[in-house]
Amino acid sequence: MKYPRIAYRNGKRYFYRFSLVQRIQHIILFTTVILLSLTGFPLRYYDQPWAEPLYNFFGGIEVAPWIHRITGSVLLGLFVFHTGYWIYLFFKNRIGRLRREKRLTVGNAIREFFSQEMIPNAKDGRDLIDMFKYLLYFSNRPPRYDRMSWKEKFDYFAPYWGIPILGPAGVALWFRDEITHYVPGIVLNAFYIMHTDEALLAALFLFFVHWYNVHYSPEKFPLGTVFLTGYLSESDMIHEHYAEYVKIMKEEGLEHEIKPQH
Amino acid sequence: MKNMILLLGLALLATVGGVGEEVFAADELNCVLCHKYRGLSRVDKEGNFRLFYINEKMFKKSPHSRLKCIDCHSDIDEIPHKPAKKVDCTKECHLEEPSSNEKFSHKPVSEILDRSVHSKYDENGNLKEMAGKYPEDYPHCKDCHDNPLYRPLSFFKGEAAGISRRGLSRCKTCHTKGEFAETFYAHVTSRLQKMRSPKEIVGICAKCHGDPGFQERHELDAVVTSYQETFHGKAVHFGSEEAPDCIDCHVVSGESVHFIEGRESPTSAIAEGNVATTCRTAECHADAGENIAGFQVHVTYDKEKYPLQHYMLKFFTALMAGVLYFFVVIIFLELLRRLFPNFSFVKSSGTDEHGH
Repeated sequence: MKYPRIAYRNGKRYFYRFSLVQRIQHIILFTTVILLSLTGFPLRYYDQPWAEPLYNFFGGIEVAPWIHRITGSVLLGLFVFHTGYWIYLFFKNRIGRLRREKRLTVGNAIREFFSQEMIPNAKDGRDLIDMFKYLLYFSNRPPRYDRMSWKEKFDYFAPYWGIPILGPAGVALWFRDEITHYVPGIVLNAFYIMHTDEALLAALFLFFVHWYNVHYSPEKFPLGTVFLTGYLSESDMIHEHYAEYVKIMKEEGLEHEIKPQH
Repeated sequence: MKNMILLLGLALLATVGGVGEEVFAADELNCVLCHKYRGLSRVDKEGNFRLFYINEKMFKKSPHSRLKCIDCHSDIDEIPHKPAKKVDCTKECHLEEPSSNEKFSHKPVSEILDRSVHSKYDENGNLKEMAGKYPEDYPHCKDCHDNPLYRPLSFFKGEAAGISRRGLSRCKTCHTKGEFAETFYAHVTSRLQKMRSPKEIVGICAKCHGDPGFQERHELDAVVTSYQETFHGKAVHFGSEEAPDCIDCHVVSGESVHFIEGRESPTSAIAEGNVATTCRTAECHADAGENIAGFQVHVTYDKEKYPLQHYMLKFFTALMAGVLYFFVVIIFLELLRRLFPNFSFVKSSGTDEHGH
């Protein structure tokens, strides 16, 4: 599917960010993570007054563990799919172009790999410094983020750190009997801590930080719609991705209509 | 205890003079004439609140419902009676044990208990030093048992819990005295499962093992809280009847539940070489490997005893604090920055002010 970089609705400009496949992946991601949290944390906080009613809502000890296992499997499946998805895109778009241009060398391939939009780079470091200068009133120019800000990259890599820790540990605890033929029993103790503590970190991060960025913050409340439409409004684009905004406007021949950052 | 008194007081207010619906058959001396009153109570010489009310409906559902009161309270010989002595569970009953035709007694249970880790005496029959100092820390019958209630199972074509009426109807074909059949059914099927739910069993052990003073006196870990942190404990907390409680792992399969041995005893269920066998019973981790013995159940996060867990907990706590504080501080600063969006301590160069 081809997405126009700038779409117009009711006379307003919207900037393309996420394809339909990506938006569906995100919906699966948050649905499974929310279900996993709701069927997991009542176990961690079993002695809290909300734990039992919540757990019983999901069918109690007979049913809730199966909801947890099934949604966990879906999330692991999504993780594998997504990894395959960007590897596929990387080969199709980046390596394919290098091949067509007859520039395919190991060095160029590595360079292409690190120029992908979600890979952290030196500009992120500069943006971080700019951000602190701005937040601490040492500058009145907010950082000018590219297509993906360092915050979004952090959001993106959080599941890449979290799922490999949570997922295999969860699977091992599920198949605890079988696993004891291959690993010492104390590994299950370690998996238990990994699973529950990493889950808490993930849930708290999503609840406080991610939901601040997309729900609670004054510009977004009650919710930012980019995860549904795939397009970001011009004012949000200026606020969050000014460097990208200027670049697209120039490339689309709208240089004279570029608005100031604030 | 205070809650208990409060409850009893409320019950008294609400139902002074409440009379049970049935008078049970074994009460020849009509003890319930007085003991049916819910407020029948007093404060004894030690200052303990004592309740003497008997709930006939509940008593009828107990294994002792067919005994006469004086079978156990044998020191009572006049009515109204003086303060009765504590019941001795090991005395001979007037009942006959049907397989041997001998007088029934709980004495064998007491003898098993005396061989277990809970005995006041060591293997040579000498009083243990700690038992001399703290005799009340060593349990006997009534420390774990009140008069239990039957928990009959219903097997007949998946009927709901309790007595299977359709199953019972088969007994009643021959055992025409229906009450006997019902009691016998409850007697047998209650014993095919635990007399008490796993959650109640944990509660009983926790009466002593959950008490910090007791743990300190006997140099024991906080085994109840560490158990409650396991999936076993959590499943039991949410009402699972299948997940193991204390007894399942601490009694050798096939032994009486009263024969709990300490870890030091080579025949105990949790002795070093026996753990895998205990875990791998047919009902539990039947397919597990020997390594399951290495799983640590009673983890306290103590640095010396459980270094792996201790340092993992530290790592994840530090990671969590680091990540969350970092972002929460940024969010806070961002909100603060909105108050004076154009202010700055340092004058910007101005050439690149509007991104052009």
